[in-house]
Amino acid sequence: MMIKNIWIIFIRDIRVNTREFMTLYMMIIPLVLAVGINLLSPGINDTSVNFALVENENPEQAAYFDDFAHVELFSDQQRVEDRVRSRDDVVGILPKDNGYYIMTQGNESELVLEYAKLLNVLYESDVQLEDARSEIIEFGRTVPPLKKMLVNMLLLLISMLAGMLIAMNILEEKMDQTVSAINVTPTSRSAFILGKSFTGMFVALFSSIACLLITGFYNVNLGQAALVVFSSTILSLLIGFIQGINSDDAMEAAGSVKLMFLPMAGSIAGYEFVTGNWQIFFYWSPFYWAYRANDMILSKSGTWPRLILYIGIILAICGAVYTLLAPRIRKGLQ
Amino acid sequence: MIEVEGLYYSYSNDDNFAVKDVSFKVAEGEIFGFLGPSGAGKSTTQGILTGLLQLQKGNASVAGYDIKNISRKMFNKIGMSFEQSNVYSKMTAKENLSFYSKLFDVETRDPMELINLVGLGGKENMRTGEFSKGMKHRLTFARSMINNPSMWFLDEPTTGLDPAIAADIKDIIKEHNNKGVTVFLTTHNMYIADELCDRVAFIINGEIRLIDSPKNLKLQYGKKLVEVEYGQDGNVKKETFSTILQEDKDLLNKIIADKEILTMHTKEATLEEIFIKVTGRGLA
Ligand SMILES: Nc1ncnc2c1ncn2[C@@H]1O[C@H](COP(=O)(O)OP(=O)(O)OP(=O)(O)O)[C@@H](O)[C@H]1O
Ligand SMILES: [Mg+2]
Repeated sequence: MMIKNIWIIFIRDIRVNTREFMTLYMMIIPLVLAVGINLLSPGINDTSVNFALVENENPEQAAYFDDFAHVELFSDQQRVEDRVRSRDDVVGILPKDNGYYIMTQGNESELVLEYAKLLNVLYESDVQLEDARSEIIEFGRTVPPLKKMLVNMLLLLISMLAGMLIAMNILEEKMDQTVSAINVTPTSRSAFILGKSFTGMFVALFSSIACLLITGFYNVNLGQAALVVFSSTILSLLIGFIQGINSDDAMEAAGSVKLMFLPMAGSIAGYEFVTGNWQIFFYWSPFYWAYRANDMILSKSGTWPRLILYIGIILAICGAVYTLLAPRIRKGLQ
Repeated sequence: MIEVEGLYYSYSNDDNFAVKDVSFKVAEGEIFGFLGPSGAGKSTTQGILTGLLQLQKGNASVAGYDIKNISRKMFNKIGMSFEQSNVYSKMTAKENLSFYSKLFDVETRDPMELINLVGLGGKENMRTGEFSKGMKHRLTFARSMINNPSMWFLDEPTTGLDPAIAADIKDIIKEHNNKGVTVFLTTHNMYIADELCDRVAFIINGEIRLIDSPKNLKLQYGKKLVEVEYGQDGNVKKETFSTILQEDKDLLNKIIADKEILTMHTKEATLEEIFIKVTGRGLA
C-alpha cells in the first residue's frame, strides 16, 4: 500500500519533470557536461593500453603482453604500422635487429608510452605476471587527475541538481495547493515525502551512472559509486525539501539550493589543494567525504572498509541535518 | 456519520478561537448544511473533520473513525471538495483524476465519466493551468467523488459557477445523496441550501447559533415576517420585520406610529432572511 503510493507519486513527478524546461534541463545537463568533459579531455580515459604486434613473429612475447594489456595481431609489419597510424593510443611493437622497437604515432599519451617501454623491458628481463602484477596494474590504471577531478565534481553537482529538482517539485505542490488534496487520501505523509525523495534519488543515481559510463569510467566499481551518490544525495534532498517549502517561485528555489555550491566547491578545493594536516578543517562537510570517496573509487583503489567509513560519516552528518529539518519539513507539508 | 462534541480550534494556539464549543451530529444519509458569513469558521470545522487541521480540543468522529487518531483508511470512505480549487496545473484534467484515483485502495470511478458529469467533456486533455477558475473548481468537485465516498465534504462547491452549472452541481449532490451518501455542505448559496439540506446549522464567529431543518425554520418564522414600505424624508424605504422578535415588534410599532405607511404585507421568509433575523448578520 505505502509502496504503491510512493511509486505513483514518483511516476507523476518524473512525468511532470520531463514536461517543463527547467526541470528537464536539470535532468539533462549532467549528461551534456559528461560529453563536454570527454571533448575537453579525450583519450585520457583510455586506461586500457592497446598494442599492435606481428602475428607469429614471437608468440611468446605476444602472450606475455596480452597478460598486461590489450593485444591485436596483424599478419605483417605494414599492417601493424597502418593500425598504429589509424587510431590514438595503439602502440606497435616491431622487431628490429636483435630486439624490438616501439612504434608510435606521436600523439599517444606519455603514460601509454612509458607503459609500453616498461612492458618491453620486463619481458626481456623475464619478469613474470605473478611478480609484477600489483605494480603494473597500479601503473597502467592510474587515471589522469584532470578528468578524474572533473568527473568527481560532476558527481557532486548531480546530487545538488537532485536537490533542486525536489525543491521544484515541492514548489509545484505548494503553488497548486495540492498537498492538502493528497492529505485527504490514504497516502501518509511519509509516503509522500519518500515518493518525492525517490524522484530525486532516481535521477541522481541514473545521471551519475550514465555520466560514469559516458566519461569512460565503466571499469570502476559502479556499486560503490552508486552508494556514495546515494548518501551524498540525501543531504541535497533534505535541503531541496526545505527550500521548496520556503520559496515562493522557481528562481528563488533553484537559487537557494545553489547556496550548496559554496561548501561543495570549498570541499573540493580543500581536498585537492590543502595539505594533509589541514584537511581536518573540511571534515564537517559531507561533500568533502563524498569527493574523497569518489576519488578513491575513480582511481580504482577503493576498499570496502574505507568506503564504509566515508559513507558512514556522510550518513551521520545527514542524520544530524535530518533531525534538525524533519519537523519543519513535515509541518511545511501540512 | 459525524459526531462533534465541544470542538475548539485556534490558529494561534491561544484563546483566539476560530471555532468555539461546536457540537453537532450528522446522521447517515443526511445532507447537513453549514451556513455562516465569511470567516465564521466553516472551513476550519471541515478542516478538522478531514484531518487537515490537527484536532486541538473536543471530540469528533467521522464515518466511525476517531479524529484524534486518524487512520489513513478513513480517507477511502470520505471525499473532500476544496473551497479553493487545487489541481495540478501542469497536468491535464484527465491525468489529474487518474493520478488521484490511484492513491486510494478502493474501487474508483472512471475519470472520463466524472469529467463529463461536471460538463468538462472535450477539455480532458487540456492542462488545468489553462482552465478558467470555474473549470478548475468543477474539476476539484469531480475529483472528490472519485473514490465513491460515503461521507462527502463539500466546501462551497458552487461558488464562482454560473447559475446553470450551479444547478447541475446541486442535482449531482442530490443524486448521490439519494444513493445514500452523507453530505456535509458548506455554502453561501441559500437557495441551494434550502433545496438540498435536511438540516442546517447557522454558525457565526466560530459558534453555532442554531441547528434545524429549513422546513421547521420556515414554520417557525413562516408567515411571521412583515414587509413594510414607508415614506421617510421624501424617499420610499422598505424593511422586513419579524413578528416574534420583541426588538422587531417595537421597531414596527414605532414605524406605524411615526411614518406614513405605503404598503404592508406578510410574506414567507427565505432561509437568508431567517439567517439575518437569527444572527443579526447577512451571509455575504
Ligand atoms: N490559516 C489560517 N491562519 C490563521 N487564521 C486563519 C486561517 N484560516 C482561517 N483563519 C481564521 O479563522 C477564522 C475562520 O475562518 P474559516 O476559513 O473557517 O471561515 P469560513 O467560515 O470558511 O469563511 P469563508 O466563508 O470565507 O470561507 C477567520 O477568522 C480566519 O481569519
Ligand atoms: Mg471557508
